[in-house]
Amino acid sequence: MKLSKSMAITLACTALLTPFWASAQPFPNKPLRLVTPYPPGGGTSLHASIITATAEAFFGQPMISVIRAGGGGVVGATEVMKSANDGYTMLFGDPTLNSLRPQVEALPFKIDDFVPVARINYSPSIFVAAANAPFSDLKGMVEYARANPDKLVYSSDNLNGLTYVAFEMLKKASGTRMKGIEFGGGGPAMTQLLGGNTMAYAGLPVVVADHISSGKVKAICVTDTVRWAALKNIPTCEEAGTRIIWHFWLGAMVPKGTPQDRIDMLSAGFEKMTKDPGFLALIGRINSKVDYLGSKEFARVIADEQKDLKVLYDSIKK
Amino acid sequence: MIENLIAGFAFILNPGSIAAALSGIVCGIVVGALPGLSATMAVAVLAPFTFFMAPEIGIPFLLGVFKAAIWGGSISAVTINTPGTAAAAAMVMDGHALARKGQARRALEISLYSSVIGDLFSTILLIAAATSLAAVAVRFGPPEFVMLYLLALVTIASVSGRHAPKAVFSTGLGFLIACIGLDPMSGAQRFTFGNTDLIGGIGLIPLLIGLFALSEVFTEVEKMRPRLEFLKVGQDEPRATLADMRRVAPAVARSSGIGFFIGILPGIGAEIACWLSYGFAKRQSKNPEEFGHGSIEGVAAAESGANAACPGDLVPMMVFGIPGDTVTAVLLGAFMAQGLIPGPQLFEKHATLVYGFFAVLLISNLMLLGIGYLFIRYLRGITMIAPGLLYPSVVALCFAGSFAVNSSYFDLGLTVIGGVAGYLMRKLSIPIAPLVIAMLVAPGLENALRQSLLLSDGSLAIFVTRPIAAGLLSVITAGVLLVIWKHFRSTQPPKETPA
Repeated sequence: MKLSKSMAITLACTALLTPFWASAQPFPNKPLRLVTPYPPGGGTSLHASIITATAEAFFGQPMISVIRAGGGGVVGATEVMKSANDGYTMLFGDPTLNSLRPQVEALPFKIDDFVPVARINYSPSIFVAAANAPFSDLKGMVEYARANPDKLVYSSDNLNGLTYVAFEMLKKASGTRMKGIEFGGGGPAMTQLLGGNTMAYAGLPVVVADHISSGKVKAICVTDTVRWAALKNIPTCEEAGTRIIWHFWLGAMVPKGTPQDRIDMLSAGFEKMTKDPGFLALIGRINSKVDYLGSKEFARVIADEQKDLKVLYDSIKK
Repeated sequence: MIENLIAGFAFILNPGSIAAALSGIVCGIVVGALPGLSATMAVAVLAPFTFFMAPEIGIPFLLGVFKAAIWGGSISAVTINTPGTAAAAAMVMDGHALARKGQARRALEISLYSSVIGDLFSTILLIAAATSLAAVAVRFGPPEFVMLYLLALVTIASVSGRHAPKAVFSTGLGFLIACIGLDPMSGAQRFTFGNTDLIGGIGLIPLLIGLFALSEVFTEVEKMRPRLEFLKVGQDEPRATLADMRRVAPAVARSSGIGFFIGILPGIGAEIACWLSYGFAKRQSKNPEEFGHGSIEGVAAAESGANAACPGDLVPMMVFGIPGDTVTAVLLGAFMAQGLIPGPQLFEKHATLVYGFFAVLLISNLMLLGIGYLFIRYLRGITMIAPGLLYPSVVALCFAGSFAVNSSYFDLGLTVIGGVAGYLMRKLSIPIAPLVIAMLVAPGLENALRQSLLLSDGSLAIFVTRPIAAGLLSVITAGVLLVIWKHFRSTQPPKETPA
């Protein structure tokens, strides 16, 4: 890793010095920007810092990680939407920001203000319960909620966020009532579960896995069609009795109107990156699962997801 | 534990790790001292580079940056009346007042020593009792946080001077400003008038820079005369003495405790700790009238409280993988990228490494003492620059700093507004500190209050039925009663001194 270290430093220096020269060269001829719309320290910024630190080899230009947090992701997304559609500024998007919320909330941007470039990773959620919760599996949890309406208090993240939606799906599928309290993000939500202030939570493997293996929380089920590779003993929700499939992805998006050839070049760059052993080693350390999709395939998957989420949302809210 | 710590020292005492911690400290002081560049940003910007380093190099570097940046913020607070980081906001109250009296070196030295003592105390507690303390810290649910934030607000009473109505006005203004942006629970837009820049809320740092630094420049410009002559650096320049340190010792001890306690609670850190420490120090001081006019106790309390919070912040992060504040949220990422997943198993799986980091915390304290001393020797000269040269540079630094936070032009406007508002507030002797504290406290308080009421289905009983919350509530009640009692006792003989 000695070589990469000096590479990283060079990269940082180039990032600072390059913006002004060589505009005649083909795209990209200046550093790219990847905007993280959430505060530093969360899953998104962690992925972004690994991506931007390794990017230059695959794009021919450095990629700068820009953190523009605020409004639950809306501020950063809006800024990218308003930026020049020349391919240099990308949003590090996710399903709540790019599929669900623009459809159901009055946000400054619409769903088709962004064009998908590449999906980087993809991960289910895992439902977990507090160690002292009066249930240990999905059946018990649903029965408890049915017998005690609104008494099952769970940690949620944000309105229409990852955890929020997971529980809405569970409530809808099981016909039960549970009470969610929004804590703003996975970190605080998990804290409240560990402190015994709430009874359940659903979050990314990177957030819950270690607490499951140490026995601080009880694993309930995985919101996927297959089990999570690192924790094979946890059933899928379907196996446990209620079909819930809910995935969280992170992917690069550009403002609409960006030339197709530039989107293709970026997409190809990400494809090379996600096959690189060095990148995979770094990403593997944070318990993330890389699952690349190119621009067209990604767009199709998102379009389906948008329809599904709208149907789900309407069915819950009616 | 002792054998673990010895193994940790043995592991970390190698040239690479030491050099990494050392360069981290230098970077941290510089970044901390630059207004607008916070400890969080410093760690966030530098963290990706450590992904490529071995953990025993990368993590000591970041830990050095973290603690040095918190102290570094005080340098600009003392020398140019601008808190370099939000954690140094309480430092402008007395640190700069001392600098105006030509005692910048004394103020900076006291802040350095207090910082090192507070940090050391807190680090020892971290090493001795991280696991058990973290178990207590996570028991703090929303109702307990409500009480804690209220406690912070009560301390406003002690930093607001003698103008209670004006302090209430300033606090209210702070709360109103903090309401701008997205509703934290429903996501509805509040007071944004459809303006995208307002969706994210009013940034504290850009406003803070305007309120403190720019308004000071305005005030000086108005005077149209140099405020600080070129001071001679002679032998009579006051320095921190042993007697000074003895005098501030109770304040340092108390603030270290407060800082550590605030640190171990998830989500809040040095920014709140510095004000709580400052408020308590004033309440307990034999010379409360000196506060705000250059009290060395005020300097010591604010600094030791802020720096004691740093090791405290690491407690929930390392034990539960839950960041103690925003800086540790970034550190968490750096740990994870090293394959060190903070959480219950970190201490078992990587004992040597973890204790090595603890050793780094202890060693880097000593380094900070040495390097900080050198920095002070040269940087206190800033206060000797003629105002005609200094203030233009301060203005440039203000704008560079507030732009650096979010690369947003809107924030530059905020700094100007903050500057004008700060100028008017000074003219009308409305204290600025309550506004800043209210802005710091409001988001957390609102969230915790609404979460508590959701938990209790709207019943306020939740604040008295939970033991920790009820305990904090009685502390607050006692504090308020004490203030009222003191007020009436002191106003009996009408001996008003102008504040």
